[in-house]
Amino acid sequence: MKSTNIKPFKFMESAVLPLATGIRAQNLRELHAGITQIPDSAIYFHFWGRMVRPHISESEFNNDFASWVNSSLRDFMLAEALGGINPVKFQNFDNIRAVILNILERRLENEDFLSWKKSDRDFHFIACKKLMFETGREASALDDFPSAVKNISRESFFYHFIDGRRRSPECKDDFTIWLEQFPDKTADLRKKLKNVDSYLFSLTELQRQVFSIFDNWQNSKGGAR
Amino acid sequence: MSEMINKYAEIIGQAAMDSLVHIASRLQGKRIVHVNSTRAGGGVAEILSSMVPLSEELGLDVSWEVIEGDESFFNCTKMLHNTLQGMPGTLSERQMDIYANTNARNAERLKDVLQDADYVFIHDPQPAALINSFPQRKGKWVWRCHIDVSSPNKGVWQFIKKQVSGYDASIFSLPDFAQKLPHPQFLISPSIDPLTEKNIPLERSEVEKTYEDLGVPMDKPIILQVSRFDKFKDPLGVIESYRIIKEHVDVRLVLAGGEADDDPEASEMLNKVREAVNGDKDITVLLLPSDSHRKINALQTGADVVMQKSLKEGFGLTVTEAMWKGKPVIGGNVGGIRLQVINRFNGFRVRTPEGAAIRARYLISHPWKMEKMGKNAREYVLENFLITGHLRKYMTMLISLDGNGEWERWV
Repeated sequence: MKSTNIKPFKFMESAVLPLATGIRAQNLRELHAGITQIPDSAIYFHFWGRMVRPHISESEFNNDFASWVNSSLRDFMLAEALGGINPVKFQNFDNIRAVILNILERRLENEDFLSWKKSDRDFHFIACKKLMFETGREASALDDFPSAVKNISRESFFYHFIDGRRRSPECKDDFTIWLEQFPDKTADLRKKLKNVDSYLFSLTELQRQVFSIFDNWQNSKGGAR
Repeated sequence: MSEMINKYAEIIGQAAMDSLVHIASRLQGKRIVHVNSTRAGGGVAEILSSMVPLSEELGLDVSWEVIEGDESFFNCTKMLHNTLQGMPGTLSERQMDIYANTNARNAERLKDVLQDADYVFIHDPQPAALINSFPQRKGKWVWRCHIDVSSPNKGVWQFIKKQVSGYDASIFSLPDFAQKLPHPQFLISPSIDPLTEKNIPLERSEVEKTYEDLGVPMDKPIILQVSRFDKFKDPLGVIESYRIIKEHVDVRLVLAGGEADDDPEASEMLNKVREAVNGDKDITVLLLPSDSHRKINALQTGADVVMQKSLKEGFGLTVTEAMWKGKPVIGGNVGGIRLQVINRFNGFRVRTPEGAAIRARYLISHPWKMEKMGKNAREYVLENFLITGHLRKYMTMLISLDGNGEWERWV
């Protein structure tokens, strides 16, 4: 089913290249100081870029700051507060930075031993370079879309599903935005995609989950290709 | 697509391979040169043995050059290697001269290749001073540091810093290793090649035959460490750990290593290891030639527990190799091993011989957990530590060097 009114989906890819900043933290004060100094790309890396480096889904926290405070500082309450930040709610990196600093400052004001406790392991602030490029592949028909999505690389999946949610003011992944061109036919599919929690899985697990959603949708409508 | 490309695609998936081909097309016509200090022996040579042919298959114009030096140069660079990894010591004026002069002689020999290259990768400290002979170089030069320089001997680091400050970028395996340098420091993990003899799947019969040929009966659980006989790999600690395990479980220990061309201290450590073995018939020490890749593969495939109890480690390629064969690894809690081995997920990180012994006993007694952790280990390597992903990162890094400094951009 190909319509001239349908805007094709252009598959993109990204490459996230981690960069050492030389800034590290051994305690909460240093973590606070580091967050005031790091570039925006480091905020991006510790919330989103972490998905494309060696990573397992053991940690329930959605950012490296919360994971480190939990596992190396063992300040569990603070880790929960940092882990509660939903970064897609904020318009820019400065706003995310301000929220993190606010949480840390509230904790530091308590002046108990946790605020100066030395960690088991240093936190290394990592910045990144992110390159984005077209793959030259596209899909125009709804029937072709599931198989096209299932044939993209991890890096392309990251760009469209994880990074897409960051780029969208409504926190929608790129697949969902494209599927909105078929409002009735894809309502159930879009609902299922929306319910995928992109922070609780490794990239491979997420990819499997999303592919499975597309498979089930295609099979249920009997139009599997 | 070539046969080689198809074989990689079978492992990593066609989509990942298409992506690699697409990125490589953006570097067509660019001349890329890798330089290191040895053609065989050690992780760097192994990586380049795979990366260069794969790059060629992808249509890149790439070459690999090796610097030449005499014994005094390699003694000096071994000293550099050790002190950069934190050992006490210093380079004498004479050694600094040997280092500079050997690099200058190699620069003269390689000038036609290096002067006009678009991108030059210089691997490790040995050839780092080559750059000093090319003030009018055409391309971007990248220093790739494979070793653990997290707490280097300060004086020696200052000496190396002078050599590498002029590079356009450097690459370290972990953020812990990065130093203050006036250029971007990328973080990229080393990798293994799933198509080499060292990593292809072997028939059980070949594994058993190799063990038999090497004089190691497979009648008891086998604990294996594959690494150079080097103090930082702690073979003596592994023997100590084996003795503790042996108090509880009857096992064999195999220590397999070889001498690299640029590693003059190996024979001294080997003597210490043999002393520590002290005639124990359940310990086998194997000194294998650097091309014994298939034998190493068989040893890793047939082992029950694989250790890499390093005290310092840039990045343990033998750890990745064992994980690729579905083995959980007991590794030292140092360097790159902290990135490779995730406690209880795909192995254990330990600090002492006692710690290694406890984990080895645990794995031997819980074969179902060993199997699950082994599966995790293989998938973790597939996602993160294969040569294809490694080359992708190198290529995108080179593309990024031509940018305007913005962290996020379309290319």
